[in-house]
Amino acid sequence: MSGYTGKILRINLTSRRVSTLKTSDYEQWGGGHGIGSALFFDLVKDKTISGFDPANVVTIMTSPLTGTMAVGATARTEVQGIGVQLYPFEWFTRSGFGGRFGPMLKFAGWDGVVIEGKAESPVWVDIRDGNVRIKDANALWGLDTWQTQETIWQEASGGNDYGSWIKTGFRGEKSTQRPAVLTIGPAGESLCRVASLIHDAGNASGQGGFGGVWGSKNLKAISVMGTGNIAVADPNALIEARLWAMENYTFPLDEYNSSKSIWANMPSNLRSFPLPMLTWERPQQSRPQACMGCQAACRSRYDPGFGNESSCKETSFYIAPAYGGGQIHRLISSLPAAGGSGEILNKLYASETPDVAKQAADLAQKYGINTGELETGIPYMRDLYKMGVLGPGKQIDCDLPFDEYGNYDFVEKLIKMISSREGIGDDLAEGFCRAAERWGRLEEDLTTGLLNNCHWGVGMHFDPRTQVEWGYGSILGDRDINEHGFCPLYMIPTVAQFVLPGGVPVTAEEFAKIFSDRMTPFEDDPLMLNYSDANMYSEHIAKLVAWHRYYSRFWIQSVLFCDTQYPDFFNWAAQDYMGITGEGEPKFFNAVTGKNLSFADGIELGRKIWNLDNAIWTLQGRHRDDVQFADYIYELPSPKLGAFTMPVNENGEWEYATVGPRSIDRTKFEEFKTRYYELEGWGTETGWPTRSTLESLGLESVADELEDKGKLGEE
Amino acid sequence: MNNQESKEIIKPKRVISRREFLKFSGIVVVSVGVGGCIVNDGEVEDSQGYLLVDTKKCQGCLTCMLACSLVHEGYESLSLARIQVVQNPFENFPDDINIAQCRQCVDPVCIEACPTRALYADEENGHIRTVDKNKCIGWLGCRACVTACPYEPGRSIWNFQKGHAQTCDLCANASFWNEQGGLEGKQACVELCPMKAIKFTTEIPEQLGDEGYNVNLRDEVWEALGYPAD
Repeated sequence: MSGYTGKILRINLTSRRVSTLKTSDYEQWGGGHGIGSALFFDLVKDKTISGFDPANVVTIMTSPLTGTMAVGATARTEVQGIGVQLYPFEWFTRSGFGGRFGPMLKFAGWDGVVIEGKAESPVWVDIRDGNVRIKDANALWGLDTWQTQETIWQEASGGNDYGSWIKTGFRGEKSTQRPAVLTIGPAGESLCRVASLIHDAGNASGQGGFGGVWGSKNLKAISVMGTGNIAVADPNALIEARLWAMENYTFPLDEYNSSKSIWANMPSNLRSFPLPMLTWERPQQSRPQACMGCQAACRSRYDPGFGNESSCKETSFYIAPAYGGGQIHRLISSLPAAGGSGEILNKLYASETPDVAKQAADLAQKYGINTGELETGIPYMRDLYKMGVLGPGKQIDCDLPFDEYGNYDFVEKLIKMISSREGIGDDLAEGFCRAAERWGRLEEDLTTGLLNNCHWGVGMHFDPRTQVEWGYGSILGDRDINEHGFCPLYMIPTVAQFVLPGGVPVTAEEFAKIFSDRMTPFEDDPLMLNYSDANMYSEHIAKLVAWHRYYSRFWIQSVLFCDTQYPDFFNWAAQDYMGITGEGEPKFFNAVTGKNLSFADGIELGRKIWNLDNAIWTLQGRHRDDVQFADYIYELPSPKLGAFTMPVNENGEWEYATVGPRSIDRTKFEEFKTRYYELEGWGTETGWPTRSTLESLGLESVADELEDKGKLGEE
Repeated sequence: MNNQESKEIIKPKRVISRREFLKFSGIVVVSVGVGGCIVNDGEVEDSQGYLLVDTKKCQGCLTCMLACSLVHEGYESLSLARIQVVQNPFENFPDDINIAQCRQCVDPVCIEACPTRALYADEENGHIRTVDKNKCIGWLGCRACVTACPYEPGRSIWNFQKGHAQTCDLCANASFWNEQGGLEGKQACVELCPMKAIKFTTEIPEQLGDEGYNVNLRDEVWEALGYPAD
């Protein structure tokens, strides 16, 4: 078996039994998410349980490419299980993270880890190659995520300094590397629904509340030291593929100039330059710091070390408050997506970013809290405070120092209160939807949009009213998709009109085709990329959504190509801007595994995985009537400020046009859902998968379970 | 190889002195057969190739380690990579990363320590210090070169899977790559480092301290990217 190690580690925390599963039993699912969903389906008999139930299974899964030099696929790891953050349903969900944990698992001989049950008292798992021990974690419980890792490193090194060879086993195995640790912080220990899993300084499995799930299992951390090997079917082909990707799809480092910076951080396409994706101004004394195997880091380490390894929302969630912003917060928060935000902020604000933004990032990492939730929640609370509704002694009693808003004291107190569930922290630890529900404000605030958690209790990332593939993909699934594949479609036209003479270098029609040509099996329908008002509910958009689900489920979340870089449709460094997607993914996959998988095969596997996920949600109790956005998405038009320019085809003519203001029409959305379910081969009355669709995918046993529970989609 | 299994010394294929294995503190005089030369007083010809690194430019991606192990072993391995990058995520830049490349020392104590001349200066390849694994008796418990290397982490890598030592050979014998390595060719780590933080040179670096081997490879482009050029 090349790429795969052949073994999955299974840990039952209740019985403290450690056993092995054969990867070959699940290999058909590819890796990562596919294997995780299949394992979950098999191991969790009653899928209606809460995420806090000991019977919830958490999978941490790598791919055959993890730990190899496949561009963009070395380092990601996929976490799945019933999440506790999502509202109102605790969907079976996912959250990925980078760094070096997944590779280290592979070097230890494991394709993944399966966690079931609940330990009687706090434990951590110490994996050293094939040697796996469940250890008492009383000394770690209460420590923050950084302290936890440093404590584990001390134990693993046997008192030696890192920087020497450390013995890890009894047969001469050794390593210079610190153990790769995935851990919860105090927030997870308090069963916060918005607690994350943290690895090293700034890698986070943030969405879904897996920190709280681990806390409910009394699982503090998993540590892994791996001294073994990852087999590669064709080493020379892998190296050639990497060099080919670098040569044809990235700019050489020495071709960097500031005119390229605005594109350098724009997801998704192959990264050329090691520029960190963050909103604070970068101190010069720093280095780029990359996940294992990545060719161009998206985060940094600094002197002083505030903010090490943080990126994106970790850097933006407190930046506008730090600058005293309010409404402008959301605009600034979207700036990293547009690239070069540090430079933009330079122009807006004369002074250097207060260190508070970096310190706030560190607090979120150390306590282990999802910064996506903080990003939408902090301005929400401030709005409520300004309305006179929230504050000391107010209707919503809140002992936070709002006069210190934007300073360190405020964010430190907030994060500590959430982590310890102290005072209003007990509400906030439930996530802002559940908090608003406790305050009797949920319906009102989701109707006015004061609270913008618009899909499954997760904050708005891109606007469902305009970036329809993002919104529909999220609501037809389990969470904010956070899949940036089509972001260039809207970011490039939006920014290019300001910074490029002549705007986008291709016409809107050519632009759409650059995408649609690679969207097998729908490649003959460029209208999938038409973001016009009239097209919002069409079958074209249904195909766009479906393709996005399939591609992401397989190539991103199962084979684990990094979402920052893939899919690479439009690539500034490539000939005719044609990115690597379609050719690149299977080239790497086959060089490592020795298989002969085509890009289209992968898309079809993604469809299979997506169907399995929908079957799981169906068994969890989902029905099409539940698939609804927050009311403001229907009631209010998308804002003019920050509206994106996107390809639009009206009356047969393609052009770039600003999309919106517009909202989603309830009735038409219902029609869209019906169209979408028809395309998928799901029951249009329920949204449940049908037997014929499942059997055509080889999922007869899934159909049987659905039938057993009376949940088969009507044919 | 489990060296505790052997109850008697098994003679390796090449004839070596019957005298007992000397530890690091001794001076070794070894006479070998075909193709060798007599080593005396640790006088070894200088290597004609060296790797220089810039630890401030390094992005800690470990691609060099993945590349090194892949081209030499045919699989990915961190523990068997002949260049090691050690990092601490919580440390301040620039102390958060250290790169440990073989220095191809002018005065190679590893060669002096080796009782079988398995670790030697390959005169057919510009005197690159390298290991002939067929002569290595590390599986018998030797590993003198591993102990001898004065740098931390030691640059002579103990291959605990195959039971022999191995060192950076500037890719002279990187058999899993269709590129020529060695002095006339390419080094995998140099080619694949995305930051160009590793450089091959034929000039002998200053031997005392680290400054000869940890150099500034950053330029005005690096500065334009917002990182320190000094």
